[in-house]
Amino acid sequence: MTAIVPDTLQGALIVSVIDFFLSFLIISGIGVVLSMFPLLNRVALLFKATAAGAQGGKHAAHDPSAPVAANNPPDEIAAIAAAVFAVMDGAPHRIINIQPSSSRSSWVAEGRIAQHGSHTTR
Amino acid sequence: MFLQALLDQTGAVNFSLGNLIMIIIGIIMIYLAISKHYEPLLLIGIGFSCIVANVPGPPDVPGGPAISALLYAVKDGGLFHYAYMGVEKLIIPPLIFLGVGAMTNFGPMIANPKLVILGAGAHLGIFVALILAKLMGFTLSEAGAIGLIGGADGPMAIFVAVKLAPHLLGPISVAAYSYMALMPMIQPPVMKLLTTKAERQISMAESRKVTKLEKIAFPIVIAIIVNLFFPPVAPLITMLMLGNLLKEVGVTDRLSKTAAGGLMNVIIIILTVAIGSTMAADKFLTVQTLEIVVLGLIAFLFGTGSGVVTAKIMNLFLKTKINPLIGSAGIASVPIAARVAHIVAYKENPKNLLIYHAMGPNLAGVFGTAISGGILLALLGVS
Repeated sequence: MTAIVPDTLQGALIVSVIDFFLSFLIISGIGVVLSMFPLLNRVALLFKATAAGAQGGKHAAHDPSAPVAANNPPDEIAAIAAAVFAVMDGAPHRIINIQPSSSRSSWVAEGRIAQHGSHTTR
Repeated sequence: MFLQALLDQTGAVNFSLGNLIMIIIGIIMIYLAISKHYEPLLLIGIGFSCIVANVPGPPDVPGGPAISALLYAVKDGGLFHYAYMGVEKLIIPPLIFLGVGAMTNFGPMIANPKLVILGAGAHLGIFVALILAKLMGFTLSEAGAIGLIGGADGPMAIFVAVKLAPHLLGPISVAAYSYMALMPMIQPPVMKLLTTKAERQISMAESRKVTKLEKIAFPIVIAIIVNLFFPPVAPLITMLMLGNLLKEVGVTDRLSKTAAGGLMNVIIIILTVAIGSTMAADKFLTVQTLEIVVLGLIAFLFGTGSGVVTAKIMNLFLKTKINPLIGSAGIASVPIAARVAHIVAYKENPKNLLIYHAMGPNLAGVFGTAISGGILLALLGVS
């Protein structure tokens, strides 16, 4: 490669002006690219929602007799939906099924987990 | 007679005033590192090597000039020789960038994209030094290499110096790293001169949270952009981005810890010894070196000032004002310049914690220097 500018004071001025303003322009371009990064999160959420939807569809196909609202009081459904929304931190989600826990000893199990967890070495 | 012969075997008779001056400079570097905590990782190694490089040994050849044991080792092979070769052959700068990438959280830069413009604004010093160097009689290539000291990015300064003016590598790298270490002394007066107390007290709102996905996408996107548009500086930025990707993916902890820890420490030791060993009085205490040192200081001062002024200009158009002190961090020198901006603001208002905000322009400054260096190499016909 050969030098584009002459090795003179004028050349130094030309190099400086071009370099300074091009740097501004290019770094602004990087700024524009970075400002579009939040879109990545939206696309990711969209993918997750689509995947969850597809999974939900499968569940529905497997167990059509277990709709969310069947045999559940509306106030319980509302409370559970609100809790799930809070846990999911507003991310798109879908509640497929609500039913009583089949495990009779779930409270006991929770207690044991909490007790054992408190002794975990940190 | 016997005593004289014995003395001739030592370097004592070759000790010069220049050696004494350089030893004092080395001691000052170590003092600043220990007592003021000015970049001890850099200054201890550079300062110590500077001292040793100025303790003359016997002449290399009978009747020839005295040469220190350290420089003898550099000249004649061995560890120090290869340490210097690592710098000269551009092996060490990309490895430093790998470690820097593995240590750096680019979140602040991703979170506030408008601040990246400060990474370009704070580089006026490069061009002021370049023009002044040309006026002082340096060639355009030499002037470009000297100007890039103002990018406050040691590996990039070395990289460009090797390509544009390899014979000036020693003084350029010494000036770049010394001034980076001395930024806590150089920057604050300029920052205070160009801002009012009210401006220095501006608080900035918390930035948005950056997701893991964004942090993983960032190094990939930047590596593509830089390799596409700036091939001359691609090796450095590519390694920076690889290091960062190793950190952010979360599945290569071993590699990122090695890059940011053990490997980085080894490279720092080699680099500082290699730089310090170039500081022998007969080579360093020359008019040309002094000119380069002065030009480097001018570049740092103008870079700091232009960053602050750019931030103030941005404030004319922004609804939510930014603290102009963070403009000075756009000069690069991660994370020293951001820390300086934070400390200056903290002294004005102890409730004002600017470090996160200053890291945005600080990181953008790395890219600003790389872009300036890349354009410079392209304009001067160096691939």
